[in-house]
Amino acid sequence: MAPIDTRVIKTNDVAKNDLKWQIEYNPQRCTLCGKCCAACTFNAIEFKVERRRRVKSTGALPKPSVTWEAEPVVKQIVRKNKNCVGCGMCQKVCPNEAIKPVYNDHNRMDVIYRAENAESPKRGGRTNLHTEGRTLDKIKIGRISQMTDPSLDAMRHTFDVLAPFGRVLPPEKLPFTVDENGNLQMNDKVPNTRWIYPIIIGDMSIGALSTRMWEAVAMAVAYLNEVVGLPVRMCSGEGGMPLKLLKSRYLKYMILQIASGHFGWDRIINAMPEMTEDPAGVLIKIGQGAKPGDGGLLMAKKVVRHIQEIRGVPKSDLLSPPNHQGLYSIEESVQKMFLSMNSAFKFRVPVAIKVAASVTSVSVYNNLLRDPYNIVGGFFLDGIAGGTGAAHEVSLDHTGHPIVSRLRDCYLAAVHQGKQGQIPLWAAGGIGMNGTLAADAFKMICLGANGVFTGKLILQIAGCIGNDYGRCNACNTGLCPVGITTQNKTLVDRLDVDKVAENIVNYFIATDTELKKLLAPIGNSSLPVGRSDALVTVDKNVATRLEIQHVC
Amino acid sequence: MKKYIIDSLKDNKRLSTRELLQIIYDKMAEGYTSFEITASGQHDIGGPLWTQDGSPLEFELKNPGQRAGSMGMPNTKITIDGSAPADVGWLNSGAEIILKGDGGDTTAHCAASGKIYVDGRVGTRSGALMKHDPKYPAPEFWVLKNTGSFSFEFMGGGTAVVCGLDCENFPSVIGSRSCVGMVGGTIYVRGNVCDLSNDVYLVDIDENDKEFLSNGLKEFLEKIERPELYQKLTDFSQWKKIVAKTFEERKANHLIPMKDFRLNRWFKENDGGIFSDVYEDDFKVYSIVNKGTHRLRYPSWDNYTQTAPCESHCPIGIPTQKRINLIKNGKLKEALEMMLDYTPFPACVCGKLCPNLCMEECSRGYVDEPIKFDALGMMSRDVKLPQFATTKDKSVAVIGSGVAGLSAAWMLKKKGYRVTVFEEDKEIGGKLRQVIPYERLSKDCLDAELERIKASGINFSVNTKITKELFENIKNEYNAVIVTCGAHNPVVIPFEGHEKLIKGLDFLKNVKNGIKPNIGEKIVVIGAGNAAMDVIIEAYNCGAKKVTAIDIQKPAAFDKEISHCKALGAEILYPCFTEKVTDKGVLLKDGTLLEADTVIISIGDRPKLDFVESDWLNERGMLKLNEFKQTIDEKVFAAGDVIKQGLFTNAIADGNNAAKNVINLFEGKPLETFEKAPMLPRDKVKTEYYQGLSPLKVQQIDAWDEKERCMSCGLCRDCEMCLEACPEQAISKFVDVNGNVVYTSNEERCIGCGLCAGVCPCGIWQMKDNFENIDDLASI
Repeated sequence: MAPIDTRVIKTNDVAKNDLKWQIEYNPQRCTLCGKCCAACTFNAIEFKVERRRRVKSTGALPKPSVTWEAEPVVKQIVRKNKNCVGCGMCQKVCPNEAIKPVYNDHNRMDVIYRAENAESPKRGGRTNLHTEGRTLDKIKIGRISQMTDPSLDAMRHTFDVLAPFGRVLPPEKLPFTVDENGNLQMNDKVPNTRWIYPIIIGDMSIGALSTRMWEAVAMAVAYLNEVVGLPVRMCSGEGGMPLKLLKSRYLKYMILQIASGHFGWDRIINAMPEMTEDPAGVLIKIGQGAKPGDGGLLMAKKVVRHIQEIRGVPKSDLLSPPNHQGLYSIEESVQKMFLSMNSAFKFRVPVAIKVAASVTSVSVYNNLLRDPYNIVGGFFLDGIAGGTGAAHEVSLDHTGHPIVSRLRDCYLAAVHQGKQGQIPLWAAGGIGMNGTLAADAFKMICLGANGVFTGKLILQIAGCIGNDYGRCNACNTGLCPVGITTQNKTLVDRLDVDKVAENIVNYFIATDTELKKLLAPIGNSSLPVGRSDALVTVDKNVATRLEIQHVC
Repeated sequence: MKKYIIDSLKDNKRLSTRELLQIIYDKMAEGYTSFEITASGQHDIGGPLWTQDGSPLEFELKNPGQRAGSMGMPNTKITIDGSAPADVGWLNSGAEIILKGDGGDTTAHCAASGKIYVDGRVGTRSGALMKHDPKYPAPEFWVLKNTGSFSFEFMGGGTAVVCGLDCENFPSVIGSRSCVGMVGGTIYVRGNVCDLSNDVYLVDIDENDKEFLSNGLKEFLEKIERPELYQKLTDFSQWKKIVAKTFEERKANHLIPMKDFRLNRWFKENDGGIFSDVYEDDFKVYSIVNKGTHRLRYPSWDNYTQTAPCESHCPIGIPTQKRINLIKNGKLKEALEMMLDYTPFPACVCGKLCPNLCMEECSRGYVDEPIKFDALGMMSRDVKLPQFATTKDKSVAVIGSGVAGLSAAWMLKKKGYRVTVFEEDKEIGGKLRQVIPYERLSKDCLDAELERIKASGINFSVNTKITKELFENIKNEYNAVIVTCGAHNPVVIPFEGHEKLIKGLDFLKNVKNGIKPNIGEKIVVIGAGNAAMDVIIEAYNCGAKKVTAIDIQKPAAFDKEISHCKALGAEILYPCFTEKVTDKGVLLKDGTLLEADTVIISIGDRPKLDFVESDWLNERGMLKLNEFKQTIDEKVFAAGDVIKQGLFTNAIADGNNAAKNVINLFEGKPLETFEKAPMLPRDKVKTEYYQGLSPLKVQQIDAWDEKERCMSCGLCRDCEMCLEACPEQAISKFVDVNGNVVYTSNEERCIGCGLCAGVCPCGIWQMKDNFENIDDLASI
């Protein structure tokens, strides 16, 4: 009477060799200390027992002897949906180098996941497709001024590393007259423009980030301003603001974001009477580069009680609508959103807008440039290589527009109207993804950006082990193994708020040195916005498209 | 000393630098060592020049060009009357240069030795890159007034003195951003200094400095012929000195520690963190691998909280793993008696008649062969129990003495209730006695178990047909009634010729009563369930030569019964749809004629319920029952085939459950629906530990030796694998008050790795999530 063996292996059973990450395990090196399994937030590995059956013949004649042993081992758990993401915590905690995840080039999970679960895969991170290489890496700073201009020394000279956030009026529009005594008189208000560091830490919401991570960033920004002297600003993201920060003087370093979900703005409004400082700015988020045309997405698992409070919603997947309800065109955004957000702080606080880079970006920017009311304080363009905490993989990998040419187009469009610099251009989307933020920022500035903003890189500075080659990218699961993109207390408690803030500060100090090391050779002591003559490329197509020098 | 006078303008024509310097070279060759030169901007006058005999060289200059005195050597003295442009004393290597006026930019640039005295101010970047080669005297650079910005950049040695005369209102006597990259040397300053680089310290002067300045100023002022200033400039309260930081000091991080910033500045503004109003956080940092509350998962010793596959699939839910555990612990008697807590028929049913679903699902079947549950059942056949005492005052009537009725009665009697079983037949036993062929259940076996029941103290009222009146009386007389009258009304389908059919149940009853009906040689049985298989067996016993069973679907009989019948020669056909029954046999709808001398129909039986009122029945003529198998009278329950025909084990389970619910009713407890605990997932039982035996070896094992093969699914076998394997020594075991072994894991040691669960052969240790569900805990 043979039982029905439920462990029959069938063609369509998902097997270890189908998975994206395979656990490579060496039982000879393993001491069964258990750390790997204890550390794995994804529950992707477990202890099992393996049998060791050896059949031998000893002596001159066939004389069988069978030995039988059973041995505990670490095994990868194979599932249809939740598997090892390659975060490598097992490898990190293993004292014996007995275990590590290895990417499986021959995996079938992109097919299997959809076929088994009838579901569109979601993840965090950036685009994982590397189809064309990075444009910025093909550009070099090729115009060295040593022989032609007064030489500058990165160490010795003072540099004016500042970018405008806010509407910049051309000289003829400035409300100045000269009185009878020959003194300048200001006859009207001018838009309040803030000159800030050309790198904004951008747009990662409370909810997407753990409390510790978000606070560490905010604290690093305060430190950069008050101890290091770099006027770096941070954008809140669309998940609202902590009440205590709204009431603190550190509010002046914060750019408040409003997106289609309007999360937490009632708290911001109600806190106004108690604000002792104005915020640094307001950023209206229309779209983001990682998932253009899509709204924000915060998976229910991360919508814990304090997030529910700050955002004013119950536990559920939080989907921001893809557009602001009640706005039907960018022109209308200008009229309605810009006016509302300008009036919110009595026209004292600059207001900018963030959109996903798209083939229509130039038209949008052209429209904004007309701004007759001086209320458009910046145009933030976010390219395809931007990061996100949660998106459908198909959006992350297949929708969006590279940032470089689109930023350049916008800048040149302004130049053609003679209006460059009036509405500051800020660019993002993979800026710093090769680890050298200063180089990317500098090149973007030479191409016409006033500054750049970056988010994902900040997480990596903080200790995020995710990369653009499929590693981890599990921000959407709420199981972030380093406590950055999770609301789970056990995991949040893994994060060292001081170390994170310190790393961010250090990275900015290094970046500031590097920016100067790039400014000095081209002979600029202020940011070379639009100085595309400083750039060369060995790629003819890039040269043609961006109108920079082709060299070889 | 021969002095040569050069006028650089000759016939109103200016000498080039080369021509002027050539004159100097020529005249030096002629022995001149002193020159008075009225220059017109010619560069590089004054060095590097030397005399063969080492005698001093002197230059008196007027209106020189850049780099006057540059590369000057020891024994050279250069006096400049009036101001000079850039680079006076550039790369000075030992000359004494007296500038009686202002110097241009980069005065004393790269000076490495010698002395430069300036009776005025000097331009930007003066003193930059001054250095001191220990082989030569250190350079000195004296300035009466002030220097321009960026002075003393990258200075590596020597001494500069900036006297700040008439500069009292200047924000800085050395301009802005001076001393960038300065790594050595000393700069004395008198007056304000601001915007110094981070590479230097501005410190007070000490006695040595004062001595140096006292002597040096005296000489300087004499050289520039301003001795009257000595007193003014030697008010040392006005002096400071600038020294370079050491290599180590420059390396040091001057930023305040982030933790200090957080505690002393950040928290001051927001009173303990910006989220402290909504989220409690002490900011303590926990290791990735952790203990206690910070484990991701924790182990739970869930002994016997999930059912073993055998128990799970047994309709009665007999926990054979516990039975074998008792045997393992040497408690054979208890093990055999334990069976009687679950069924009065361990031999008849478990041992003989049951298809043994327990064995079909037994985990051991994945290793070699299932545990011998049937043989284990037979071991309890002759267990004798003393008569059960009546300890309770409540009484129960059971209507029908089949397996369901006897099981209910047994259970209630065992618990001390007064029980009377009413039976229409002359003997108890129901279908076990009336219908089941002796081939399948021997008389001895049945008698043995019925005797045990009879000896239990249950009252039996046989030959008692239940009428409406009697039923009413019984209901009044007893505190509860369990209807277990079975199904004794065979179903017949009214196709043409149905009156020719013999009813299977009647046939079987007759045969067992010793009446062997003459049925001929060719028999067709309509139906192919287990009862139909019994009909086939008895048909052969009655002399049939060929029996064919037909069914409209796949036969419902168990494989064991079908094989038995096929071995006798029976043929089972399906799907077959009967058109009519004729004298020749069964004509199927497809036109086939199955010849038969006798056609027996055995497609199921319905209960006879003529003793209840019609409002007790539903539209199909069956008892109306709720989920507790309770009739419309709350003290009347039903069990067994009267509800639905099923296995003997279903009937036993029904009987047990009805008895338990009667007791619940008596005790005022809520009634139960008897859901089983979930089955232990298959992969929790580690078959890897067990070496399979060959079928022959398994055959040779006696039933009580099955303790060696049973894998004790879901029930701790006390093997101590977990205890030994735990890397943190977190597991301990003890014996509780009931004498049972209990294992625990100490959360202060346990890291939640799950090795205990991984190695547990029985699947007792379960890893529970410690963090997926505590999301909100920290929120305020």
